Amino acid sequence: MENGLSSDRTDFVKFSGKSGEYFKLWFVNMFLSIITLGIYSAWAKVRDTQYMYGHTSVDDNSFRFLATPMQILKGRIVAVIIFIIYMALSQMSPALSIVMALAFLVAFPWLIIQGIKFSMRMTAYRNVRFSFEGTYGGVIVHFILLPILGAITLYLAMPWVVQQIQQYMHNNITYGGKHFEQKSSAGQYYIAVLFSVGIALIGGAIIAAFGGTAIAAADGGLSLGLVFVGLASFALFGIVNAVYQSIIYNHLMATLEIENVVSFDAQMKTLPFAILVLTNILLIVVTFGLAIPVVKIRTSRYIASVTQVTIKPGINELINTVEGSDSALGEEAAGLFDSDLSII
Amino acid sequence: MQTSIKGTYQLAGRSESHPASAIIFETGQVIIQHLNGESIMDVWPDNYQFSDVIPGLAVDLVLADGALFVPHDKSYRWPQLTSSNLLAEWLESHWLVVLSSVLVVPLFLWSMVNYVLPGAAHAAVAFLPDSIAESMGEQTLYILDKTQFDPSELDTKQQQHVSQLWQRITTQLELPDDKYQLHFRKFDLGANAMALPDGSIIVTDDIVTLMKDDPDALLSVLLHEVGHVEHQHSLKMIAQTTATTMLFAMMFGDIDGAGELILGAGTGLLQTAFSRDMEREADEFSHQNLPAFNISPAAFADAMTLLANSHSLSDDEESANENSDEDVSDNEDQQAIKRKIMHWLQYLSSHPETQERIDTARKKGEENSELL
Repeated sequence: MENGLSSDRTDFVKFSGKSGEYFKLWFVNMFLSIITLGIYSAWAKVRDTQYMYGHTSVDDNSFRFLATPMQILKGRIVAVIIFIIYMALSQMSPALSIVMALAFLVAFPWLIIQGIKFSMRMTAYRNVRFSFEGTYGGVIVHFILLPILGAITLYLAMPWVVQQIQQYMHNNITYGGKHFEQKSSAGQYYIAVLFSVGIALIGGAIIAAFGGTAIAAADGGLSLGLVFVGLASFALFGIVNAVYQSIIYNHLMATLEIENVVSFDAQMKTLPFAILVLTNILLIVVTFGLAIPVVKIRTSRYIASVTQVTIKPGINELINTVEGSDSALGEEAAGLFDSDLSII
Repeated sequence: MQTSIKGTYQLAGRSESHPASAIIFETGQVIIQHLNGESIMDVWPDNYQFSDVIPGLAVDLVLADGALFVPHDKSYRWPQLTSSNLLAEWLESHWLVVLSSVLVVPLFLWSMVNYVLPGAAHAAVAFLPDSIAESMGEQTLYILDKTQFDPSELDTKQQQHVSQLWQRITTQLELPDDKYQLHFRKFDLGANAMALPDGSIIVTDDIVTLMKDDPDALLSVLLHEVGHVEHQHSLKMIAQTTATTMLFAMMFGDIDGAGELILGAGTGLLQTAFSRDMEREADEFSHQNLPAFNISPAAFADAMTLLANSHSLSDDEESANENSDEDVSDNEDQQAIKRKIMHWLQYLSSHPETQERIDTARKKGEENSELL
């Protein structure tokens, strides 16, 4: 075998998407979706995802999105009908809305499973598809019971709960029939929470002190003080968020692998990530949303640039184990009801 | 005439792949072979397809069994590709299409949110049966009674006083008694009146006490609430909110992270804008009908002033104490800044700025007196 791999190969994830190119694709697809009364949106979604996947490569092989527009369109139509009925009924009658909420609670685990299963199965790397093997019971435990437990312990158990949820999700992803193994520890989640809460408290106190004196000192300069407090709080939000995200992301990547196939590592740093998120928000606000595609490219490029993948010899012997004929309903409904989850 | 390109041969349904080259003949025949010239596949157009043509990405040759040939040159476009294969990519890179998209997409959103959806919502509401408004009203009152309201503590004389005002309105405007009902409730959050979709109008104890010396003001507030019911504002609000949420979910459903946060804030702001428009409409209903009771629309301005004072009483007392030592010019500066802040804050509010409502009512009052 010419590309036989006798030893491990480690490299960063490469993202080759370009802001300008994607901006054009995104807007033209949005335009075509509008003038076709939404029908083209299924094609738009496929092309959009193909662009993002195709420009993401590991070890010189890029990811492929294999869903067909018709699959998406069917799922989307059914999801939209259900969503309209849900919205209309639950707003019209407060009593019915309780019934609808209960029905949604029952359907929620199914939606999550179907949604993730669909997006995993439509993702392929080197002609082998991913899949998701979560079960209804498992999702109930992790997405309903554990969060309740987290709440009744006054959120003291919440970091552990979040760790359990993410571990459950990642452990149930398979690639070529082999399970990912996430060996994360709750300790890191507590450290991440302690750090970010600590920084939030210290930062908040500093802003309150400086902001207070700035407002008091400036006669009639009330607005300057307010501007300072606003900007400083905005920056503090970005830093606190980045502290948590970077600790968790690096930890998750360091403890994720498929034995003898692949392992990961990440060096996300707090300050660059904070700057990325804050500038993204500013870009979207200043351009009234026109910069959304640019923001997506910036984010993907940054995440790729801090993520390392080690490919191991076992990757050459994988066999595809999944078909691609699933329904897109779960995934589409999850998107509309905003219960879709981003994995990794 | 034949072309040869380098690439990777990716086996079907397995991760194994080999460096390879593809020889393309004018007839459409493609031979895929190992680098040493050993043939792997010899296929004709019936047995292969191409992956979608995406800007900046290689176009894969997809064989009937699912095996792939991926060209190394990402800009390579196979001669067999038809114009329909290439259409989407052409559209996505043509400056004229891009320019019209960048103009049309925001314009579309803006006109949908401002004209199309409100128009559709208003048209749709006319078709809803009365029973929906009735059950909505009953259930909302039930929930408010359980959570927010307590039974009224007004004495019968005070209640009768208001009921007489109410009687004047229902008689003058010929409102059906079985639909329009007045309710008295005690409400901790102060002086207020509200309308439910079925025609139930609720006045809180505080507003009755606040306006006990100014029955004209109370009558103007009651008219404002009747305006909400007559214009079917609750139902329109629901239809409009449902439609805009739908539109945003469909257009931007795939966006997460910072974008999602901002979109959420955006829909929230839109909802308050709808609400402000409806308040203005109800105000106008009050202005228009007041003269029939021989009351000037300025009565509504008095009512708003009374309400504003009662709600900001505690705030004003504090700021009055703080400012008592400072000289007047400073105070005016601060007031100007405060007004500026309030001006921007109104975009977060479900009601128009109080001063604006008072000014409008005063103006209507003056116009009205000129007519008389």
